[in-house]
Amino acid sequence: MGTNEQSATWFDGVRAVSPILLGVVPFGLIFGVTSVSSGVPLVAAWASSFVIFAGASQIAIVEVLGGGGAPIVAIVTAVIINSRMLMYSADIGRYTTSEPLRTKFGIAYILTDQAYLVTANRFPDPRNARGFVAFYLAAGLTMWTGWQISTTTGFLVGAAIPEAWSLEFAIPLTFMALLTLAVKNKPQLIAAVVGGGVAVAALAMPYHLGLLVGTASGVVAGMLVESRLK
Amino acid sequence: MSMWAVVLVVGLLTFAIRYSFIGLFGRIAVPESLERALRYIAPAVLAALVLPAVIAPGGTFDPWNIFVPAAIGGGLAAWTTRSIGAAILVGMPILWVLQAAV
Repeated sequence: MGTNEQSATWFDGVRAVSPILLGVVPFGLIFGVTSVSSGVPLVAAWASSFVIFAGASQIAIVEVLGGGGAPIVAIVTAVIINSRMLMYSADIGRYTTSEPLRTKFGIAYILTDQAYLVTANRFPDPRNARGFVAFYLAAGLTMWTGWQISTTTGFLVGAAIPEAWSLEFAIPLTFMALLTLAVKNKPQLIAAVVGGGVAVAALAMPYHLGLLVGTASGVVAGMLVESRLK
Repeated sequence: MSMWAVVLVVGLLTFAIRYSFIGLFGRIAVPESLERALRYIAPAVLAALVLPAVIAPGGTFDPWNIFVPAAIGGGLAAWTTRSIGAAILVGMPILWVLQAAV
């Protein structure tokens, strides 16, 4: 267990997540730019990169509040989007039992889809906990740094972009892209169709509540189709 | 002010989600029913965000507006390339062309 081995693992973590970072940087720029054009309070939106550090939920908050939705709808939507990280936390917990509390807090704070997925792919065996933690921290910190730089740049550049470019449309486009990546089988397709359909049908509901009703309907529909296919 | 409140509350709750099972020493597994539900959250919530924004911009139902073809084009680009950037690179120009034409 030499220092060389540890630093090699750190380097591996940075290298593994770097190609993924190329896709995250435009996402961060879009978040900054669209926040400026959507008219939400800018310092709060910018601070969400540090406080929340979860891109899709940060964009959803801007979308809901920028469109006149209620704060509670923004909160519930963001938490629903981030709930998937429960699964990552459950898996990571198997590797971190002997880490000090401080490290556990750090590991939890920088948890992202990308850092977790590259690390779990590389260290599938919980007996190699040291390698997992070093690799994960390197990947996670790389993601964190990339996210802060790209979103901050987006906020700085955003003010210079003319309104005629309609850049706020990049938000639904981003969610559209995430949607095509999230649908991998038939029950998930049904969940998307029902979730979107019900959200449109429930447009008349106040405070963007249709968003939550649509999401709940989609999840139930997906689970029903899954159990029927079995 | 309410934006700040939303950011702080979501930040705390998101940290709680991330820390949950790490804090439980990894001894407790995710219940099977919750794990099943989590698989459908991403498709359902993303579609519920996208569809109204595209076919009912500003809150009024209008399936023939120019956002629809732009979103379809962007979605197809993302689906074929597996990249978020592609949706922007294809979807935004479609919107600009239609804005200039209509």
